[in-house]
Amino acid sequence: MRRTPIVITATFAGLAGVLAFHTTPAKLSLGALPGASGTAQPSAAASSGSSPRGQSSGGASSPPRSGSTAKAKPGATRTVVGPAVNYNFGVLSVSVTVSGNKITKVGIASLDDGGSQRSQFIDQQSIPVLIQETLQAQSANIQGVSGASYTSAGFQQSLQAALHTLGFQ
Amino acid sequence: MTAGRQAVARPPEFPVRSIHHLEDVMGTVVTIDVYTADATAGAGASRQLAVARALLQRADAVFSTWKPHSPVSRLRRGEITCAQAPAEVSEVLGQCAVARELSGGWFDPWAMPGGIDPTGYVKGWAAQRALGAFRASGVCGAIVNAAGDIASFGDLGGGKPFRVGIADPFSPGRLAEVVYLTGAIATSGTYERGNHLIDPHSGQPTARVASASVTGPDLGLADALATAVAVAGEDGLDLIEALDGYQALTIAFDGRRRWTEHFPFAPRAT
Repeated sequence: MRRTPIVITATFAGLAGVLAFHTTPAKLSLGALPGASGTAQPSAAASSGSSPRGQSSGGASSPPRSGSTAKAKPGATRTVVGPAVNYNFGVLSVSVTVSGNKITKVGIASLDDGGSQRSQFIDQQSIPVLIQETLQAQSANIQGVSGASYTSAGFQQSLQAALHTLGFQ
Repeated sequence: MTAGRQAVARPPEFPVRSIHHLEDVMGTVVTIDVYTADATAGAGASRQLAVARALLQRADAVFSTWKPHSPVSRLRRGEITCAQAPAEVSEVLGQCAVARELSGGWFDPWAMPGGIDPTGYVKGWAAQRALGAFRASGVCGAIVNAAGDIASFGDLGGGKPFRVGIADPFSPGRLAEVVYLTGAIATSGTYERGNHLIDPHSGQPTARVASASVTGPDLGLADALATAVAVAGEDGLDLIEALDGYQALTIAFDGRRRWTEHFPFAPRAT
């Protein structure tokens, strides 16, 4: 039988890669980009960037506010809040900040999970992961993440709509 | 269309993603992405989306261990026999037996506490099956991502390969590595919250590495093997090295990485 030695490498190889990670130009290629399932419309542009938790919004989508579509100068920093969408454990909306054509920040603009323990656990665990993955996916030009934990369709829908408002496809 | 028009047609810009669909199924979200070079293929793929979705929902209905009335739940309680369950149950259990064999017993749905549990195989199997819906539709490539276990064929178009990240087990949201994806990749590890890895030899929750990723042609088997290697630890890499078409990477609790000879690492930036 073919016997191949397993290659061993030191931890620093991976570490170096992580540190070198944020340098790529913005070429969006993210699991959450526009496509067939983006039913919701963006609700607001140019939010202040504050993120009040526990704010409630009942509907699955809100109508777009007229005149809110950002047609900013290249390089300008813009923040958009995606629509409030239902997810498995409540209602959430996502905020996205871009500088030029690069996403610089993704956050939760509002979240109402009804206070159940299970949903709070998932919120605390998975939303930071989703936010990080969004940023990482952009910088690495990848089509998915293996080993990622819980993902939320609601998160992706709100994000997708916010990106659409910002002119990403 | 005239020859003249064809001559002036601009080459397609890649990638063109004609489908991006999120399906709530199997207690998680399955993402379906299809990349095409022309509208005809896109339309064909859109028609196939319904097929893919139905296959995923069907797998959930049959194999869910959470739904008390699913055939597999009833099988686990001894209310029905395998022969009385839908045909895909014996198909999956047969493939689980093969996976158990190939994994040297480190993957064993029959050794789970609470009775036979093929869940570790089913998610990948269902995603792989759903992917098949798009094969004949003339697309450049397609990806079915079942919460981080990913089946694919083809590429982005224009010869550009798919790239996927492997989540960093020590830093949620960061990527430990990026790989070129030809076929499937599954990753098991301690970051699978609420989904303990069970050592079939002891029956106890055990993981000997922080993360194990397996690439190969079939996601069902890759999923089972990733689970096996996560439980077996670095020694489990030998099992994968012996399998044609499959590669593996482990990340130990101290961060050390080991991998089989042809693990498809990709540069992090393009």
